[in-house]
Amino acid sequence: MNFLRFLLFLLLTEGYLLGSDKILFNRDIRPILSDHCFSCHGPDKRARKADLRLDTYEGAIRDLGGYSAIVPGDPEKSELLLRTIHSDPEELMPPPKSKIPKLDSEKIRLLTQWIKEGAKYQRHWAFTPITDPKRNSKEHLIDHFISKRLKKEGMALSERADPYTLIRRLYLDLTGLLPSPEEVSAFVNDPSEKAYRNLVDDLLKSPHYGERWGRHWLDQARYADSHGYTSDSERQMWPYRDWVIDALNKDMSFDQFTIEQIAGDLLPDATKSQIAATAFHRNTLISQEGGSDPEQFRVEATMDRVNTTGAVWLGLSVGCAQCHDHKFDPISQREYYEMYAFFNSAEDKNNTGPTIPVIEGELINSPEKNEKNKANLMVMRDMKDPRETFLLARGDFTTPDKKTGQLNPSFISAITPDLEQKEGKRSRLDLAKWLVNPKNPLTSRVTVNRTWMRYFGKGIVETEEDFGTRGTLPSHPDLLESMSSYFIDSGWSMKKLHKLIVTSKTYTQSSKVSPQSLKADSGNYLLSRQSRIRLDAEIIRDAALSASGLLSRKIGGPGIRPPQPSGIYAFTQNKKKWNTTTGPDRYRRGMYIVFFRSAPYPLFGTFDVPDFQTTCTRRARSNTPLQALNISNDPAFMEFAQGLALRAIQTIPGEAETTLDERIRLAFKLALSRSPNDREFETLKNYAIEFAKDISAKGDGEDAKSLINEAIVKSAISLDQGAALVAVSRAILNTDNFITRE
Amino acid sequence: MNYLKEQTRKQFFGNCGVGLGTLALNQLLGTYSQAKHIPKIDPSNPMSSRKAPLKAKAKNVIYLFMAGAPSQLELFEHKPKLNELNGKAPPPSLLEGRRFAFLKGNEKLLGSTRKFQRHGQCGMTIGETMPHMSKIVDEVTWLRGMTTDVFNHGPAKLFMNTGFQAPGRPSMGSWVTYGLGSESSNLPGFVVLQSGPRGPRAGNSLWASGFLPTSFQGVPFRGKGDPILYLKSPEGMRRNRERKFYDTIRDLNKIRLEDVGDPEILTRINSYEMAYQMQSSAPELMDLSKESEKTMELYGAKKGEASFANNCILARRLIERGTRFVQLYHSNWDSHGGPGETLDKDFEKVCKDVDQASAALIFDLKQRGLLEDTLVVWGGEFGRTPMGESRKTTGRDHHIDAFTMWMAGAGVKKGYIHGKTDELGFGIIDGKVHVHDLHATILHLLGFDHEQLTYRFQGREFRLTDVHGNIVREILT
Repeated sequence: MNFLRFLLFLLLTEGYLLGSDKILFNRDIRPILSDHCFSCHGPDKRARKADLRLDTYEGAIRDLGGYSAIVPGDPEKSELLLRTIHSDPEELMPPPKSKIPKLDSEKIRLLTQWIKEGAKYQRHWAFTPITDPKRNSKEHLIDHFISKRLKKEGMALSERADPYTLIRRLYLDLTGLLPSPEEVSAFVNDPSEKAYRNLVDDLLKSPHYGERWGRHWLDQARYADSHGYTSDSERQMWPYRDWVIDALNKDMSFDQFTIEQIAGDLLPDATKSQIAATAFHRNTLISQEGGSDPEQFRVEATMDRVNTTGAVWLGLSVGCAQCHDHKFDPISQREYYEMYAFFNSAEDKNNTGPTIPVIEGELINSPEKNEKNKANLMVMRDMKDPRETFLLARGDFTTPDKKTGQLNPSFISAITPDLEQKEGKRSRLDLAKWLVNPKNPLTSRVTVNRTWMRYFGKGIVETEEDFGTRGTLPSHPDLLESMSSYFIDSGWSMKKLHKLIVTSKTYTQSSKVSPQSLKADSGNYLLSRQSRIRLDAEIIRDAALSASGLLSRKIGGPGIRPPQPSGIYAFTQNKKKWNTTTGPDRYRRGMYIVFFRSAPYPLFGTFDVPDFQTTCTRRARSNTPLQALNISNDPAFMEFAQGLALRAIQTIPGEAETTLDERIRLAFKLALSRSPNDREFETLKNYAIEFAKDISAKGDGEDAKSLINEAIVKSAISLDQGAALVAVSRAILNTDNFITRE
Repeated sequence: MNYLKEQTRKQFFGNCGVGLGTLALNQLLGTYSQAKHIPKIDPSNPMSSRKAPLKAKAKNVIYLFMAGAPSQLELFEHKPKLNELNGKAPPPSLLEGRRFAFLKGNEKLLGSTRKFQRHGQCGMTIGETMPHMSKIVDEVTWLRGMTTDVFNHGPAKLFMNTGFQAPGRPSMGSWVTYGLGSESSNLPGFVVLQSGPRGPRAGNSLWASGFLPTSFQGVPFRGKGDPILYLKSPEGMRRNRERKFYDTIRDLNKIRLEDVGDPEILTRINSYEMAYQMQSSAPELMDLSKESEKTMELYGAKKGEASFANNCILARRLIERGTRFVQLYHSNWDSHGGPGETLDKDFEKVCKDVDQASAALIFDLKQRGLLEDTLVVWGGEFGRTPMGESRKTTGRDHHIDAFTMWMAGAGVKKGYIHGKTDELGFGIIDGKVHVHDLHATILHLLGFDHEQLTYRFQGREFRLTDVHGNIVREILT
């Protein structure tokens, strides 16, 4: 026994000598306890072993019968440490058979030092009230914190991006479309700070801003045009999509945006638009399979509403508490079902009701209303006699826990411990107001962080979906605080938040990766450069449509069905109706393409659009050969390439040979918003010349004819030269540069 | 007395015998490596082949998914007692606590009209509608004690594929390619083939990668036209022109890479080259003209047809070319008794669709030496009830408590029958294998501890077996 103590002493002495920085619980200790201890000694009381909990100070120092897990200030007397180094597998913690990794010596050293310093616990950072850290008010809020941190590491922001890159970046980020060559030229001629700010203001006023950022929101709303599950028949939710676009374009404050979507129907004198907003939570799935118990699917949809609300506003995986107390975060199973109770009184029961009739244009600020396009939009409505809510044992709808008794709607207390809950019956409206109460520490942080992620590729908190104790810590805590305060103080204005971000030097800096910056910060956590981000699937289409000049700018209304290859539904249970859209509507933006959950438009599946079975707060960004095949060979992209070639031919009239250089340069500029450098130009020109030569040498004109469209034929260019320009345009659309926001 | 107290008391009274010798010093001062089987993935080539962390018996998997759930009582489970009690009410004790999709509770027991015979050394009973399968009984491990949690087609298929009944989790093929990558550099690592009148319920979420990177999602090959969407170049773009096209893009991307330095461009360059390669490798794969007449006959395959038999040949060809996980779906095994779902003609047809080719696949893999490191799995999402279900004719409802699957090849016993059900086929008496156990066993054969192959998502370590699963050691060689 004494030997053990002695060894511990040795270790402690060594550890203490090595220690330097002061230990911070949230940064240094909680991750260790969370990874190694909390699954048995954490918040989940049913999983708790030995009646010991280490997630609270009181639990950790509790007298366990003459000894304690932690004795503040006295590592030698702290049983916890002894257990981490024990040689007897029966004694060692975590137990080897648990397969939880053992603690390494560095972790033991940290724990030791922490106990020595008094074992001070801190509240989990994300649950503490939002602060507004001091800063130099003359400096841009964002740049202040980013530069300060970079300076500490001996680094600095990169220089401003060149105006070509910058304007393309801004257009893609704020509208999802490309600037025209004229817009590019104007900005290049005057790239001043003032001109840039004017550009920002103009783009935030563009109706396409609502489309671009609406699409991000629709991901979180798990918006789709079909019911899901196996039958997956079509539904009409597009009026809700229009509501989102309109709300963003109006810059509806985020608190109002929240309240209307969660509980617009419960507002006094609710308007039609406010009721339509509640379709947010009608994006849940409906099962139409024979033999299924509708109650099972009603319960699943209700749980999805709880989980989506938790993920979108609180950045928490509350779904873990469906079956048991949360293992790592202070959410009990009971609290989960108390939150569930807010949604449990909804009228719908795995069916479409209730709905409201909406006509095209009604929910969008549009002077044109089209009576012909009507939809019955599914909305939320509470039953007159609400259902009783019970805790569901193991999350199973057949096993309500009657012993615990009926549960009333209630919020998660650990998030707002200082906020008293309203007496009496609480409704979804109370939930909505709680979410956007300035005292709620999560909503602003989570929203700001996710907005940031869209601009820089990852959040300040990288696990944007997990602000709980298992999530990553913020890379710039003060910045997140400051921006979260700013967001609330600005009256929750999303446009002001966007403006704040895009006018920072952090945003406008170059995304070029130098070997030094790659070495110093390969993941770009410190932001010594902007990030190159592959465009979302819809935006790849939109960018190609803008470059080709084919784009239809119509906003809102029923979805479209561009041509797609046969056999898309070979793998689905039911074949879907897909009457190909004709006329200009065929060239509408990607976000309007009808989305069947079981078989999305191929471009979407290939470029990481999820199937929206559940909320999606962050899309993956893969890079696969199927993507290459899609842009190279999809007839839609061939059509865009032809459009791009035609645009170059029509803009620059004249002989094919004498105009070739100019036409190549223009096609390049239309797609990439910059001029090719010499090598790029030579590469494309050689390709064009060789291609024209090859096709005229081998063919009888048939190959060329199949590559160009009628308009090119009419443009008086020779078939072979026309085909060569299409080939060049196709190559440009396939560059990494084209599908990347740099 | 609780655990900690007891242990500590033992320690204080010197019972635990700890001394300096048993407490190795390097344990105190050294660093422990993490035991998890989390693969290190090269972001520029996520599908590059990786070595399994444990000793692996299997390298590849071919999973023949019988969509709609075949009746074990017509195919594999001979129940004379059930025949004897045909038309009688089932004993209430057997119905207690069971849930069914359509049955209302007053249904009568239904004996099987199929003739059964014992086959091979192992004496497995096979129904008359599977004459070819009766020839492979001694190559196969029979799992008669399969059980699942879910009794609707869509959720049950998801459960069988992803270990979870709602969509959103990675499928088995995604987990396997996440863990092992693929041997092929010009074909996808996880391929899905399909035959029969309709797609499986739950569709693409059955082979989705869930929260795993999309590089690991299953790529459905189509039976007709291009096997992969947009595989074919636009008309007029001949092969030599396409080489120039891909070279041009590569050159442009290289110039940009030099200018902006983003390593992701390198991945893009690789992706485009593989796309070009796939344009020739995928049609070569699909082209069965080089398969001998004898092989075609063995499988009962016909050139140019989209059938289960052709898909079985393709599965073998994929494995030969380095693809890691091939999954075949064949519909429709649903046998409620309604139109298109009868237990007589419709059932016979679907048996005929798969019988010969399933057996041929085993023979063919064996004769080519591929069975040694390929695991073949055969089965549906659940079984069918011993009671009849009255529709237009009498069929059987969904049964989750006991059904049959089989596995063959790498690392599983030959001619071994595992599990036993009661005399009416309601429940399992012995050798129960839950879906999670099946998953744990498959991962084990591939060289993974199913508890350690994890992926962190939304603050949690996820795995194929969720928090369950036991390896079925009895069936391992």
